[in-house]
Amino acid sequence: MDLFLQTLVNGILIGGILICLTIGFQLTFGVLHVIDFAVGGWTMLGGYTAYWLVTLAGIDPFISIFLVFALFLLIGRGLGPLIYHVRTSRYARPDLMALAFTFGIFLFMRGGALWLWSYNSRSVDSVLSGQFLSLGPVTIPLMRLSAFILAMMFSLGLFILLYRSRFGMAVRALAQNHDHAGLMGVDVKRVSAWVYGIYTALTASAGVLIATIYSVNPSVGIRYTLFAFFVAVLAGLGSVGGVLVAGLALGLLEAYVATYIGARYSLLIVFGTLYLVLLVAPKGVLGRGI
Amino acid sequence: MASKPVLTPKLIVRTLLFGAIVIALAVLPALIDSYTLRIATGALMWAGLACAWNIVGGYAGYISFGHSAFFGIGAYTTAILMQSNIGASFFVTLLPAILLSIAVAVVIGGPTMRLRGAYFAIATWAFAEMLMQLVTVLDFTGGTAGLSLPAYLNEFFFYYIMLIASAASFIGVWLLIERSRFGFRIKALRDDEPAAESLGIRTNLVKVQSFALSAAITALFGSIYAYWTTYIDPHSVMGPEITDQMVVMVLLGGLGTVWGPALGAVLLWITNRYIWSTFGDTVIYLPVLGIIIALVVLFLPNGLISLIVGRQRGKELISRILGKL
Amino acid sequence: MNHKFSRRKFLRNSLLGTGAMTLGFPALNVNAQEHNIRVGVVTSLSGANRFGGNLTRRGYDLWAEEINKLGGIEIEGKRYPVEMFYGDAQSRPASGADAAERLIIQDEVDVLFGPYTSGVTLAVQPISQKYRVPMISGSAESPNVWLAKPAFNFGMIPAVDLTTDKSMVVLAENLGDRATTASVIGVDEPFSKETAEGFRKGVEESGLELLSYELFPAGSDLSAIISKLKSSNPDIVAVGGHEDIFINFVSTAKALNYKPKALIMHYGVTSAAFIKETGTESNGILGVSVWTEGLPYKDELFGTASDYSELSFSRWGTRPDYTEAACSASGLVLQDAARRLGKAPPWDQGTRAELAKAIEDTDIETFYGPVGFAKEGSHYHNNTKPVPAVVQIKSGDIVPVAPENASKGELVYPIPGTS
Repeated sequence: MDLFLQTLVNGILIGGILICLTIGFQLTFGVLHVIDFAVGGWTMLGGYTAYWLVTLAGIDPFISIFLVFALFLLIGRGLGPLIYHVRTSRYARPDLMALAFTFGIFLFMRGGALWLWSYNSRSVDSVLSGQFLSLGPVTIPLMRLSAFILAMMFSLGLFILLYRSRFGMAVRALAQNHDHAGLMGVDVKRVSAWVYGIYTALTASAGVLIATIYSVNPSVGIRYTLFAFFVAVLAGLGSVGGVLVAGLALGLLEAYVATYIGARYSLLIVFGTLYLVLLVAPKGVLGRGI
Repeated sequence: MASKPVLTPKLIVRTLLFGAIVIALAVLPALIDSYTLRIATGALMWAGLACAWNIVGGYAGYISFGHSAFFGIGAYTTAILMQSNIGASFFVTLLPAILLSIAVAVVIGGPTMRLRGAYFAIATWAFAEMLMQLVTVLDFTGGTAGLSLPAYLNEFFFYYIMLIASAASFIGVWLLIERSRFGFRIKALRDDEPAAESLGIRTNLVKVQSFALSAAITALFGSIYAYWTTYIDPHSVMGPEITDQMVVMVLLGGLGTVWGPALGAVLLWITNRYIWSTFGDTVIYLPVLGIIIALVVLFLPNGLISLIVGRQRGKELISRILGKL
Repeated sequence: MNHKFSRRKFLRNSLLGTGAMTLGFPALNVNAQEHNIRVGVVTSLSGANRFGGNLTRRGYDLWAEEINKLGGIEIEGKRYPVEMFYGDAQSRPASGADAAERLIIQDEVDVLFGPYTSGVTLAVQPISQKYRVPMISGSAESPNVWLAKPAFNFGMIPAVDLTTDKSMVVLAENLGDRATTASVIGVDEPFSKETAEGFRKGVEESGLELLSYELFPAGSDLSAIISKLKSSNPDIVAVGGHEDIFINFVSTAKALNYKPKALIMHYGVTSAAFIKETGTESNGILGVSVWTEGLPYKDELFGTASDYSELSFSRWGTRPDYTEAACSASGLVLQDAARRLGKAPPWDQGTRAELAKAIEDTDIETFYGPVGFAKEGSHYHNNTKPVPAVVQIKSGDIVPVAPENASKGELVYPIPGTS
């Protein structure tokens, strides 16, 4: 029973990490209709930024996460027009060309990180590293709990931004139809660029905590890209609420399979389930959102 | 359309051009060293793979992220049958490899191709990851330790077999898709699926047929690849990098065109190997490759093929082929 | 192509020239470019195995720099400088094969060093065989590599199946009644899985009770596995994997309030990066190593094992682990075989086959320990001589603790503060 409860906690906390990873990606997909291959790259760069800030300046990840957010908001805002340009051009399949573009960016990030910062894995230390909370038989790692709280804050913040602000209204208009939104006076290009910026900021901030929980090296990105895609598509592309459900479901599935069936089969069963769920519910668990 | 003459001057020119390229490729091995031949062999393989992916991705309009599964099925079938306990010869293994990949494509193609766009893409990726995990935990596949094949170290053999397989794929695709009713069906499906259905096209059948054709070609190259490299493991033949490379090559070359994928594959592969060998003692070639891909997308959005047929014409050509997607 | 090589050669020779002149060998370089020994390094500088791949490169480079300081390899009284060429195997077998073919055909190397990981090695072996280029692998630890009886490939480090089970038995004997149960986990990938299987075999041989044996896919979250270990709390936990997994294991275990009484891992524990990244948490962790700087070995080029460690530290800024040491020793094997061969480079195919024969007959003492290759059996051409030691990390130092004859300190058990 103790192990069962611990597994429940483990699963929920893995779910929190998956939600962090996916929430920003879900926004760019819902609004810009871009499948961004570089999502794992932004996660990795966020982790490295936190590493350098704590190593060189002694800034704890819980503080540097705000710096990372601001920095990547600007980087994403700067790159946004390029993505927008590729995505909305009159080319044959702009959505695919955007995919190829972000693939190139991702390769650049991964190769650049390897070239600049070399091959080894880096641990990012924080005041909460290795700290835990004991609740009866259950141990709750505080770093993972923070990631879970961050995931909830991200989701809540995104809901408020989308449904309680003028900017959010413009974003939603854009998500429904770019042309109509433009006709209604929304500066489509500018809003798109900011959406991309918010996405990179959210994803890189998630990367700070993920790097603190695990570690960061130049090759981690591809795994995060894979999971972001999977959670997003299980959630129903563009659905922010769906991410919460899908992230937790996948986290619990992974934890229970690893504990009770065998860790060796965890990914086999996770990917198999994902494939079957997609066949049964082709629009994801909660259908389309935003 | 049916009244189109069989032999137009344009067609004759194209056939001659294609013939000239094939002859040039046939005499190439006499002119280059064995390392360059190895790169050329790789280029032919990637051209064939890009051609295969293009059937589903370019013509049918379904973006598959799961083609590494078929590559792996081909590679593993050949490798398992050539183990000493069975001892099949290489050519004998090709047929089972192709049949197995067709069977898998038919079984998963039907339900999976009900999904659209990114859902289809990621479902196929999930399938491929699942298959890779399965190969990893099974015993007769050698698990994660992989399988070694009997080494046949004749670089000419592999060059010519890749050349034959690649040329056959291109001719087959060209005949089937540009010169037959099947091609009209598949393009109609891509341009407007409900409309195609209302015209009496059995869209599900056409989708599965194109998926199976694409899978069969991919598996064929997987088989040859396994014999060529002499050692395979789950990651090297089923990893997502195989599919990524196919997708990017087609997109860079020119989606939904006959020759675009070949061009994209050959240029990207040669660029890749060239900068890899020039900067072989550092990894700076990786970011450089990334930048090159991004720049091609930014400045040659209709693919490298538009360099040859002219930028404007390329754009028109592709938008005509692809409709208003 | 030619242009590129001549420029590279020019740069290399000017560097060599400057180096040699300061050392007082000005006459040596006049004809140097015609008589270089060309060494090709195939290793994974990028991709999943870039960590170990880069360590191997350090080891090979250090030897090349040291031997070139003396003017090169001595053959029949004349010295021939070593020129290094690199091919990134990208942690992929096919890229490794491409790299080997390029080094052999275009760079015309006389001998190959590397590769890192068994998959790449298996794909490169047929090529080294085809062109008859001897290949000395400073770090290929999977037993699969030697099963195929590769005529031209030689391995410096005993395969994991020879080291992990022995070290587990030694550890169990040392702990006696204090330890009765063990659990083994490992990443489901070639080297790590074989390591885990070696540990499991060792557990069975030493009569410990095996509480669990579990493999998990690379990149999976470890919280489930650690929670399970915590609830059964075995006396010894053994982990097969690479450094990423170890770092994640240590940090995840700490965050879940779990510290095994004895934690033994294999590859990467003894690397400086692991100790740096895990900080004080590394204290007490056990590892298996076929070499440490405290061992009483020595040779003419590098001096003693601790001299080598100093040299490597001053060159790279970190203490070498056994991988780097074995790679540097690969150069010593080449040096010795070339001397015995007694033929001036460049070597043609026939001479290279003779060189392979000479390498096969290697019987030398080095700072890394004794080197000699098995001529038959399932570990064909593997250097089976080094004896694995169980080491323990104590305040950042790697201290051999067992077996008794290699021991330099007390085995701490259980690690203070354990569950």
